[in-house]
Amino acid sequence: MSSRKILIITTNHSSYPGANAVGQARLAYGANTYIIRVPDPVMFPEDFYLRAFDKGIAGIIIMSSGSDCPYEGAYPRLAARVARVYEKMKAKGIPAARLKLTTICTVCRAAFLKEISEMEKAVAAS
Amino acid sequence: MEENIKDEAAKDNYRQAPKTAVYVCHCGGNISDVVDVKKVAAEMARYPGVAVAREYAFMCSSNGQDLIIDDIKKLGVNRVVVAACSPSLHELTFRGVLQRAGINPYLYEHVNIREQVSWVHKADHEGATAKAVKLTQAGVEKVLRQDPLNAIRVAAEPRVAVIGGGAAGMKAALAAAGKGLEAVIIEKAPRLGGKLLELGKVYPSGEQASSVLKKFEDLVAAEKLITVHTGAEIDFVGGFVGNFKINFKKSDGGMAQIKAGAVIMATGFEHYKPHKGEFGFGEAANVVTLPDLITLLKNSPAGRLEYAGKEIKSLALIHCVGSRQIEGVNQPQADGKVNDYCSRVCCTSALYTANQVKEKYPAVQIYDIYRDIRTYGMRHEDYYEKASKDGVIFFRHAETDQPIVESARVAHTVKVKDVLTWNEELEIKADLLVLVTGMMPSDIKFLASQMKLAVGADRFLQEVHPKLRPVEAANSGIFIAGTAQAPMDLTETAAAAATAAAKAAILLAEPDIPLEPFVAVVDEAKCTGCGLCPAECSYEGALMMTEKNGKKLAQVNPALCKGCGACVAVCPVRAIDVAGWTLDQFDAMVDAIGKEG
Repeated sequence: MSSRKILIITTNHSSYPGANAVGQARLAYGANTYIIRVPDPVMFPEDFYLRAFDKGIAGIIIMSSGSDCPYEGAYPRLAARVARVYEKMKAKGIPAARLKLTTICTVCRAAFLKEISEMEKAVAAS
Repeated sequence: MEENIKDEAAKDNYRQAPKTAVYVCHCGGNISDVVDVKKVAAEMARYPGVAVAREYAFMCSSNGQDLIIDDIKKLGVNRVVVAACSPSLHELTFRGVLQRAGINPYLYEHVNIREQVSWVHKADHEGATAKAVKLTQAGVEKVLRQDPLNAIRVAAEPRVAVIGGGAAGMKAALAAAGKGLEAVIIEKAPRLGGKLLELGKVYPSGEQASSVLKKFEDLVAAEKLITVHTGAEIDFVGGFVGNFKINFKKSDGGMAQIKAGAVIMATGFEHYKPHKGEFGFGEAANVVTLPDLITLLKNSPAGRLEYAGKEIKSLALIHCVGSRQIEGVNQPQADGKVNDYCSRVCCTSALYTANQVKEKYPAVQIYDIYRDIRTYGMRHEDYYEKASKDGVIFFRHAETDQPIVESARVAHTVKVKDVLTWNEELEIKADLLVLVTGMMPSDIKFLASQMKLAVGADRFLQEVHPKLRPVEAANSGIFIAGTAQAPMDLTETAAAAATAAAKAAILLAEPDIPLEPFVAVVDEAKCTGCGLCPAECSYEGALMMTEKNGKKLAQVNPALCKGCGACVAVCPVRAIDVAGWTLDQFDAMVDAIGKEG
């Protein structure tokens, strides 16, 4: 297990229940993962992510609700913001692979595990 | 004045120094078999801001809840963290405990160390324990920055508007009226009924749809709490939960307005219309859809099944027309998307209709060409069994091997690569080709746009969550009944409509309605009036600029705000936050997680 911490931002309506579904199926992943839940990750400004990297987070996976987001216009705004975060990460020399925006539904167990596995590789490589 | 402050402090613990208690649940052995709960409690007892930390076998039990109440009353605890199962199970339970003990129920944080720790790190007890500690520390940091919150209350119109007067709309209105709630049906067609007007026999009862409709109509007409407007054309929907306004043009050309506390969307579905040339539709004679066959069956004389004056001795059903479509294979709809969803009810409906054909015209040979038979409902498989016994011949094709139709002047040949005979290429000759068409949502773009309704990738209205918040739209006070939300049969439609009505009745049970307090709040002292935030808000009227004492300020309408937080991210001075989910709380949680040790 990598000791590098991965922050997983989940949504109340979609990916947080999705993470629960992984647990209910007793599927395993690394204990270096820390799930927080939010109404919608669109609330985080660009500096939230950069600050998290500064504070010892190795990788961040934003598990949004994607096109199924119940909040109108939130996903396109989130995607545009994450694009700006990538620009700022580049300017600071932080590898882009340490941040991932993805979509996880309430039953997306395999996709949830795949994202963690890929982020494990990304933080190990950086 | 001093006395008032004391009263408020006693009620909300607002001015008291935070005193946090942490409880770590064993959940029997569900958590404690993997996580060292004693160690977690010991670590938390040492954590800054924590007054007491305990572990217990079942925190959700009466004894577990009493532990919390005792600590609140005897130790003066005013903030609580429980590390246990998922908040979806017991967050409300523990909020209730705080309320019963006399403190604000929102001074509570629920940490999930079961579904997201012990159940997924069984092979790593040490890692799971360390993670449980970190997550609980993050929970403490969040609750330390939590303000007491109170449910927002808005006065509500004691009535529900039901848009659509088909089976779902009538059932919803009747169910609402049954609970004492006034209901107004707004139907665009000249009469009630929707698709019931077209259907023949309906399963599982075997009743004629016309008879079901008559019963509904009679009940609606007899119910004093229901008002019906048919031939009504809606041209405006505004307002918010408790206070919606719907303007419409009446059938006589006059205008009317309905004020309602809740809205039920019962806008129904349309049958998929095959495009010209799809399995010969619109080009060859004798290619019809399943709804056409149902109408034909209703109107055909006994003894001889006729179509366009000619006797039909054989017919072939082709399933999944307009459903489960494949991008790049099927022709997309006007929005560029194919219908990749399963329409669910068409398999059962096709078999039910085939059985009726066999009952009425036993000599008619029926061929059923399918990809999968999905007769998913209670005893629906019986229709498949009956069809098999009555001589319907089934052919199954693979997703990539669509049947090919070659039409002659009076009959069709369908070529199928049949999976059931190990990919034998078979030819079926049939007098009538019946395309088993799926469902598509009614065109309600105007309403969806006016009401800011979330629409799924399949174009149906989207409920917030199929298990946690079924039939609820993300917009407070709007509920979805029947096929406006997804393909469903009459039984499911009635159930969904009754659920929507029950939720509307619960919402409007009191003259003013409580709303979750998790909406945007503006710190007026910090707000610089820059005006960046309203542009981020997708909900009209939820966030506006205003002026107070000569200062420009952002102002939130809590009844319209959905609490998504889109406005929060753009504030350069962090003057706007979602109550209960503030950026400072998340920063502190990240600090706790990121910190070494």
